[in-house]
Amino acid sequence: MHRIKYALPFLLVGALAFLAVLSPGNAEPAMAQAGAASSSTDTRVTQNSATANSVTPNEVNEVAKELWCPLCNGVRLDACELKACEQMRDMIAEQLAEGWNKEQIKNYFIEQYGPQVLGAPPLEGFNWLAWILPFVALAAGGVFLWRTMQRMVASPPQEATIPKEETLPSVTDAYSRRLEEELKRYG
Amino acid sequence: MIFDIGHLILLTAMALTAFGIVTGYLGGRWRNTRLIQSSFNVVYVVAALVFTATVILWYGLLTDAFQLSYVWNHSERALSPFYKFSALWGGQAGSLLFWCMILSAYSAVVAYVNRDRHRALMPYVNAALLTTSLFFLVLLVFAADPFKRVGFVPPDGQGLNPLLQNFWMILHPVMLYLGYVGMAVPFAFAVAALLSKRLDNEWVRTVRRWTLIPWMFLSAGILMGSQWAYMELGWGGYWAWDPVENASFLPWLTGTAFLHSIIIQEQRGILKTWNIVLIWLTYFLVILGTFTTRSGIIESVHSFARSDVGPYFLVYLVLILLGFLWLLFDRLPLLRGEHSIDSFTSREAAFLANNWLFAGIAFATLWGTFFPMFSELLTGQRISVAAPFFNQVNGPLFLLLLLLMGVAPLLGWRHTSLSAFRKQFTFPILAGVAVGLLVFLFARSFYPIIGLAICAFVVATIVQEYVRGVIARRTTTGENALAAVAGLWRRNGRRYGGYIVHLGIVMIGVAVIGNEFYQQSLSVTLARGESAQIGRYELVYDGMISERKSNRIEYHALLNAYNLDSGRRVGVITPQRNIYDKTPDMPTSEVGLHVTPFEDVYVVLNGWESGGASATFTIYINPLTLWMWIGGVVLVLGTLIAAWPHPTQRRSEVVRSLAYATGDD
Amino acid sequence: MAEGVTERTVSAEAQQMHRRSVRIWQAVFTLVLVGFIALLAARLIQTNQSEHRASGQAPPFTFTTFDGETISLEDLRGKGVVLNFWASWCAPCRDEAPLLEAMWRREKDNGIVFIGLDYLDQEPAARAYLAEFNITYPNGPDLQSAAARRYGIKGVPETFFIDPDGVIQELVVGPIVNQAQMEALLDKIRPHSLSQESGG
Repeated sequence: MHRIKYALPFLLVGALAFLAVLSPGNAEPAMAQAGAASSSTDTRVTQNSATANSVTPNEVNEVAKELWCPLCNGVRLDACELKACEQMRDMIAEQLAEGWNKEQIKNYFIEQYGPQVLGAPPLEGFNWLAWILPFVALAAGGVFLWRTMQRMVASPPQEATIPKEETLPSVTDAYSRRLEEELKRYG
Repeated sequence: MIFDIGHLILLTAMALTAFGIVTGYLGGRWRNTRLIQSSFNVVYVVAALVFTATVILWYGLLTDAFQLSYVWNHSERALSPFYKFSALWGGQAGSLLFWCMILSAYSAVVAYVNRDRHRALMPYVNAALLTTSLFFLVLLVFAADPFKRVGFVPPDGQGLNPLLQNFWMILHPVMLYLGYVGMAVPFAFAVAALLSKRLDNEWVRTVRRWTLIPWMFLSAGILMGSQWAYMELGWGGYWAWDPVENASFLPWLTGTAFLHSIIIQEQRGILKTWNIVLIWLTYFLVILGTFTTRSGIIESVHSFARSDVGPYFLVYLVLILLGFLWLLFDRLPLLRGEHSIDSFTSREAAFLANNWLFAGIAFATLWGTFFPMFSELLTGQRISVAAPFFNQVNGPLFLLLLLLMGVAPLLGWRHTSLSAFRKQFTFPILAGVAVGLLVFLFARSFYPIIGLAICAFVVATIVQEYVRGVIARRTTTGENALAAVAGLWRRNGRRYGGYIVHLGIVMIGVAVIGNEFYQQSLSVTLARGESAQIGRYELVYDGMISERKSNRIEYHALLNAYNLDSGRRVGVITPQRNIYDKTPDMPTSEVGLHVTPFEDVYVVLNGWESGGASATFTIYINPLTLWMWIGGVVLVLGTLIAAWPHPTQRRSEVVRSLAYATGDD
Repeated sequence: MAEGVTERTVSAEAQQMHRRSVRIWQAVFTLVLVGFIALLAARLIQTNQSEHRASGQAPPFTFTTFDGETISLEDLRGKGVVLNFWASWCAPCRDEAPLLEAMWRREKDNGIVFIGLDYLDQEPAARAYLAEFNITYPNGPDLQSAAARRYGIKGVPETFFIDPDGVIQELVVGPIVNQAQMEALLDKIRPHSLSQESGG
């Protein structure tokens, strides 16, 4: 019974990791919030553009940050200096002026260029595998590890003659053992 | 003429290497002293030969020998000698030669240092290291000849890639190669242990330092690469999870896991198989990384021009995979653990969890790096897997790892009693909660609060460990606090140096959290005299100047920076653009920086009009970035403390080697 | 070697079971890694192949022009097709644009069709480009670069000359600015009856 207690941290950790990651939809608001918090500091610039037809580069970059240049490898659209990317940013500015939201704009670009404009595989079809497999592997490793440890803990230690609290003799750790003892005595 | 000799030297080295592998292996098997000695000699001679070949290529680069295809493609007359020197690793063939040189130098040092030690292991170590050398020499001779001729003598070279003409780009590859290549050494010892069936802790003890040193170089190399990306690429960040970056990060992950798991093998005699698999995996990932960046199968800003080395690498990968697995499976019965784990709340258990997470992160990174490739192969659809994927998958795992870094040292070996729990955890948890609350007051988002609280928790455990260690030493020796810290380092550098490394990692973690969640950015076009405000800074544009350099024109924009809190001028920020004569359509960027411990003001010059009457900038505030580089320095120092030979250990090593000498021969 | 002692007490059956499971795991481990390398090899071959652009029978494609008309390559059998990949951000494309348009105007009644596929571009910028050069032959976006990938283009401009039987006769990488070169290329894809007429 009591062993379950020890397993709890492991399960908790696994569950947390699973939640935090497998639901990117959930994780994103946290990030988006952080993004919003940071962008609110430069309101000075963004305020005047609320009147639609003049969209500031900052608003454009807010969207461009989440898109990737389709012509280059791993370059974010807001930092890309190609003329093609400049045009893509102009397009975003126009769409923002027309009142499109970020999702609409992203969808437009996916339709135009395919999912490679996103920095992560979309959650559909074969691409699910990209997201799932790391966690399947992690969980499988965790289960294996846990079961191995459970077996080890269950079987009585072979060197039962050695007192419980003493570490094994080792040349390199001799000092740390002494230190540990000293700590016990003085600490 | 001299370059033909260079080619001849490589050929000779290749033949000798093959010979050395045979003598090393047979010498180890038959315990034949003469064969063993000859394997040592081959290691030394090959190192000398490869070094000579490298010097010849350097000579070609420095004397503008454009009849060589490599020099023609990667250098030019106007290039400063500094960069001519570093052009050695600016292209495919040269960098392979450089790889090979470092490897043979490592091999020679390993052979020399251990010439009288590990009698049973060393012949096999020589053979294993020479095998790797052989592979690279085969590449140099057959697939990527650095001494290939153009056929005529061109008047001038094509120039070095402008992105590589940067200070950090000189240091970064050297460090990276020293780290990358060095991982072949622990692997060679693992192979030697398997071949000689000496699978006790001997090889593990020896290999620790030979892993720490490459690990330190690899860490430093990765950080310098980040520094380069931060200064040169001008997108406000330092790490993009680019395939080539990942290629250097993967062996770091498995290597770090290895460094931790060998501690448990030494202490408890378990995880023997796992350790061997881990170091093999590290080596495999090194070769795989070299392959992916050079074969053109993955597209990246950093990758080399495509060449025909790909098939060679594949064959070698298959060989090291099958050869190793065969050897491992054959020796499996000899790799039984000697003890077991007694409790889930022991340090062993924490180390296992650490390895689990490292392996998980490594797998996720490997998977994410290769997924676009497989996806295109199997479905025909092109997708990109970049920062959003890796951050979401690896982010939480890194946080857990950070947490574990604080927890593990607080747990005792074998078992932690409840009273020990209370004694150990009270202060660090309080510290973590306090910092968490403090952050909560400023920004209410989940990740930074948790992240910074964990950082505080880890720092508190390190401080607690040091305070206890110092107190213990002072009570026994009566020395003052500083001497006590020095004593801890000297007498138990492994542990207390390790804590310093952890401290460095925490600093890097803090910088990452600051950048990831609190970065601000602003794009503006400013006419001369106009200003922009971001965070607590105001930047006033003061015009542009241009400067003619040997092979480029530099354009500097001048921005006066004012701190609005204090109202003081804090300095001039000069973002810069370079236009190179040979590649005018590839202007490079040099960001302008104002660095403080709290934040970097980071300015990119995007463009300008009418001679600089107005200019466009992207300005970033990157919080806490300085701590990433400080953390890197701390990490290196900590590694050095941990790797420094222990006074008593040194003595015992000598004793042990004497025992071997008398027992073996 | 205390573990050896406990091991011996375990029944032979259990030991055999254990050995078998170990062997299965070894096989799985090996196969996964070999599979990984096999995928790498496949990818390497694919990479080397993609060096080559489409040749022989022209890959089919369908696209919608900026004016809303849907055009499929297969419907153009019997006519010579000049397929030009371009983009508004591409500077060299500008060099060949006037010639392409001029030739289209001259040849459109001679059984030759010009088609422009707009590669990784933005509609407003593309329309501006078309207006600037007064381009009248059918042009449309190559959505998700579907055609570009099938034709294996490496950049823009690239121009494929497809004969009336749907076979790629020539490929030009980079701009075509020379009228004589263009004439020679066009002669290779003229429908037979018509080319005889104009020749006679």
